[in-house]
Amino acid sequence: MPYTNREIQELLVDYAGALRDGCVPTFLKSLAREEAHRIASSRQFQDAAELTRILNGVGFAEKAVTPNVGLFISRVDANIASRLKKARAPSRRKRRSTAKTVDKMEKRTEKSI
Amino acid sequence: MNRRLRNALKGITGTDIERRRRAMEPFVRATFETFIRFLYRYLGNEVECEDVLEDVYADIWENPDRLRNVDSEKQLVKTVYLYYMRKRLRQVYSRMNRYLSLSQKDMKNLMAPELDVLEMMSESELKQTLRRTLNKLKARERRAIELWMTGFSNRAIANELKTTVGAVKMLIFRTIIKLKQMMRDYADET
Repeated sequence: MPYTNREIQELLVDYAGALRDGCVPTFLKSLAREEAHRIASSRQFQDAAELTRILNGVGFAEKAVTPNVGLFISRVDANIASRLKKARAPSRRKRRSTAKTVDKMEKRTEKSI
Repeated sequence: MNRRLRNALKGITGTDIERRRRAMEPFVRATFETFIRFLYRYLGNEVECEDVLEDVYADIWENPDRLRNVDSEKQLVKTVYLYYMRKRLRQVYSRMNRYLSLSQKDMKNLMAPELDVLEMMSESELKQTLRRTLNKLKARERRAIELWMTGFSNRAIANELKTTVGAVKMLIFRTIIKLKQMMRDYADET
């Protein structure tokens, strides 16, 4: 069970630790209602959180740089390809559906004739 | 801005979709390291950073209008954060909002805030400012921050400084507030 009555300095240090260890969601989930309110209303916390993020970037971002950029580029390209496919898909369906309605109309007119 | 990045930007801001898609590779190569380091500040997790960045690049490809008038690397990072990364960062955290005590607005302010003076500084400028301001701190304060940045836990820092975990938390909190003010003053001076 999480410790639910942390003071603002404890909350900041826990946030900083979570950011450093890459588990911010766990920190957010551990917040009790009063703690969340404390964070939201504390200007000091917002200021300190900003510097914590900067320290995190300066101190730990180096380990985040992936050596295989080529693999990442192929992921981006696949994402773009999937978006292109999605963008084209509705127009095809539309065309197909309009074609069907034209066929139906033609059949109807043939029947009526 | 270096020539490689300028050419890459020119490519991705073109009007033809296929041409923009081909131009993504040099653009990603020129910016990946800068962007992932910047994003790491907010997420602290490289897997999450890559996932977010993948969508950010695809968003840039889809709608590169905001990058048309960018003329420096600093401006590029700022524009990409404000118009592309921030939206994605908010999505990451808003997904889990129903389980949290923080309101949606407070979480947005905490996880994807507006950029302040310090956050707009480049990595090298930040390192330089940090080095100078760390030197102005008291020895005990500096040691606590340095140990924390090396990856020490609060308990380990407490053992190192021969004090309690509670005292370490208070010391780190106060030092961070002090450091922030000193860095901001330094940034305003320069």
